[in-house]
Amino acid sequence: MKYAKLLAAGALSVLAAACSQPDTAAGAGSEQADTPRVVNVYSARHYRSDAAIYAAFTEQTGIEINLIEASGDQLIERVRADGPRSPADVIITVDAARLHRAEEAGLFAQSDFSEFTPEIADNLIDPDGYWIAIAKRARVLAYSNQRVQPDEVSTYEDLADPRWEGRICVRESGNAYNQSLLASMVARLGEEEAEAWAAGIVANMARPPQGGDITQIIGVAAGDCDIAITNHYYYLLMQNSGEAANRAAAEAVTLFFPNQDTSGAHVNISGAGIAVNAPHPDEARELIAFFLSDEAQRMFAEMTNEIPVVEGVEWENERLDAVMPFTADTRNVSELGDHNATAQRIFDRVGWQ
Amino acid sequence: MTPARQGGRLPDRATALAILAALVCAAPVFAVAWIAVTGETGDYLAHLARTRLPVYLVNSALVAAIAAGGAGLIGTVLGWLVARTEFPGRALFSWVLILPLAVPAYVAAYAWLDLSQAGGPLHAATAGLFPTVRGAWGAGLMFALVLYPYVYLLARDTFTGQSADAYNAARTLGAGPFSAFARTSLPMARPALAAGLALVIMESLADYGTVSYLGAPTLSIGLVRAWSGAGSLVDAARLSLILVAVALIVFGLERAQRSRARSHAASGRHRPAPRFHLSRTQGLAAALACLIPLALGLIVPLARLGWLALNEQPAPNLLPASWHSLTLAAISAVLAAGLGLSTAYALRGRTFIATASARAAGLGYAVPGAVAAVGVIAILSGTQALIDPAWQSFTGEVFPVLLTGGAAALIFAYLSRFAAAAIGPSEAALARVTPALDGAARTLGATRGETVRRVHWPLIAAGITSAGLLVFVEVLKELPATMILRPFNYDTLAIIAHNYASDERLGEAALPSLLIPLVALLPMIFVARYLSRARSSSGQV
Repeated sequence: MKYAKLLAAGALSVLAAACSQPDTAAGAGSEQADTPRVVNVYSARHYRSDAAIYAAFTEQTGIEINLIEASGDQLIERVRADGPRSPADVIITVDAARLHRAEEAGLFAQSDFSEFTPEIADNLIDPDGYWIAIAKRARVLAYSNQRVQPDEVSTYEDLADPRWEGRICVRESGNAYNQSLLASMVARLGEEEAEAWAAGIVANMARPPQGGDITQIIGVAAGDCDIAITNHYYYLLMQNSGEAANRAAAEAVTLFFPNQDTSGAHVNISGAGIAVNAPHPDEARELIAFFLSDEAQRMFAEMTNEIPVVEGVEWENERLDAVMPFTADTRNVSELGDHNATAQRIFDRVGWQ
Repeated sequence: MTPARQGGRLPDRATALAILAALVCAAPVFAVAWIAVTGETGDYLAHLARTRLPVYLVNSALVAAIAAGGAGLIGTVLGWLVARTEFPGRALFSWVLILPLAVPAYVAAYAWLDLSQAGGPLHAATAGLFPTVRGAWGAGLMFALVLYPYVYLLARDTFTGQSADAYNAARTLGAGPFSAFARTSLPMARPALAAGLALVIMESLADYGTVSYLGAPTLSIGLVRAWSGAGSLVDAARLSLILVAVALIVFGLERAQRSRARSHAASGRHRPAPRFHLSRTQGLAAALACLIPLALGLIVPLARLGWLALNEQPAPNLLPASWHSLTLAAISAVLAAGLGLSTAYALRGRTFIATASARAAGLGYAVPGAVAAVGVIAILSGTQALIDPAWQSFTGEVFPVLLTGGAAALIFAYLSRFAAAAIGPSEAALARVTPALDGAARTLGATRGETVRRVHWPLIAAGITSAGLLVFVEVLKELPATMILRPFNYDTLAIIAHNYASDERLGEAALPSLLIPLVALLPMIFVARYLSRARSSSGQV
């Protein structure tokens, strides 16, 4: 059985090689003065702006970044399984509900973020100090210039009205942004009214959910529906797309921030917290501070069309300027996490696919 | 001599490796089952049963049925054409037809929805006549188009290896070519086709990205929602047990029908069936039949993405990511082929332990990658907890964290997920080696090793390399386990492609998506050349 032996030998050597791969990350506690400073980042973001921010951070501080990007739930599971030995220093998610879950799993250390206030609004910082927002995204509406008059659109609540029947495009409810939008409705209106609203949206859908937010905007432009629910930056992305069809679709629709005279538009966050067992807590704090620096905030605005959380930051992005400023929901974003499970069940009950 | 004893030491060692394969593959599933059984009970599952579960089940059945039907049809027809007929471009199609397997189903879905949605170019060009690729049928179609190579590969190898005797006899007895095919070649190929279909079904049931994007909520959607929406990993684990049960049934059926159809050709002599020379029109029709699935599954989606890519600057770090993808896939493919081959050898002994091992190894295939990864994490952190105190008392130092230690966890997860994909094909390949052949070789004084090397290997080389190739391509496009288990700063092509695509930046997702089939091409060319050499030399046996 020469082949089996060969294979087994090969397998063993490969596995041994894989196992003995130098481990630059988990030098917990055994840092020496001359070893380079590192910070281990577990991020659910995966944007080009982040790569630029990390590069700038390393250049300015000399701190190397070790990075794992995966979905928020996966990161939470990995950090939880590694327990006290986890090399994670900073955990970043793109959804307040995921931050809430990481907090509930006991993954975050409490921090004093007061040095960042008042430049950052209170509602963007966890009341218990486990995490802080680093960028904002608004979930808003995009309506057809041809088939919808500007004065027809007003609030999220209004979309459940029967006059929108067969006119709404929106993506599936597994999407975290939809969940957080409904969670904000639960927080504002209570579970019963939020459920009635979700049922109204389902009744008014022009087609079963398919695709992402851009698919919905294209659906409006193409006439499948008259109004779509989307995150603001997808629209800005389309305006600047290399693809002429995307730019034309963006031309045909208008981005609208609802609830300006009432509760404010729903805003979700990217947020970061320091891991409770962080081997490099000082570096972790430096990185979060850097995320909140004018330089990094500006990169969010210019590279991903996200909205900076730090007040008074300046940027050059005409498309973002065109939709700013707007009135945002002032509830603490931690409430989105509180009501996420409720929102999920409402979606199931009303049959929002 | 009974088959069980006749192999002597060979099956014993093979059995040991088969048990190893079973342990590697099934361990994460058992870990998930453990989580499911020991976790706290909430009311989420009851809520799900009242609300969405029926929809999930119906969609799962629809998607799997359409995927299996489509892939079965395409794979069988193309496999037969390439193996048994001669037409323009046959040699090229023979291996190019595997390539759609390298296209992740969700990538095909992104491209096709983009093309066919209202406002998309295809929709506009046909004035809305071309239906939007969405829902259960759209998802099933996507799976059929990118997964048919499972069936095709196995069908092609089986049809190639089939003796022409039965077919010729049927023709002599007055059956037309089609009827002779349906009554002789097809039944003989049934084990291989069933193995391929089982993989297609499990793959489409475990998928998340495609069905979520096309709006065909299957059980795996429910599972991810239980995890991410309700926040209960326990409930997700419980739902995944349904998929495990389905896998047991699917693989059980496949196995049952394999034993029923156990048909060793009367003669071990490799009598390569002569290929039919098709008429000019027939030949063109055959080439067209090959071109259509290739176009739909590979060329159109990648061309669409490539077109979008022209407008974007290329994503950075593609070179190291390609290297990571290539090495991970190659290592996993070799290991999986070894495990698959050993299991196939062990199964020849027909012992209970071998059969049980083969079945257990199939389990890893049943659960979605994200759940399998959770199983791997649970095992590694459990092992860590066991090792830590002992290690510390001996050395006084902390044991390195297993999970972040390197690519080993990742390869473990890949093997657990995909070794099953190597077992079925290996078994199908080994079915061509009849017990009588072993007896003859031994009678002529060949040692066991020589028998394996000089008699078995030439017969099974094609099948085993196909098995390795399947795993190679699977690993190239694997996403959820790679994401969660990878070491720091370790991107693969699939991850980069997904990161952009999930952000609806299709243009930037294009280049890494294009690179996945390109990276798959390298070993495929190598394998194709090796096989043509092996085939020409096997004539000496």
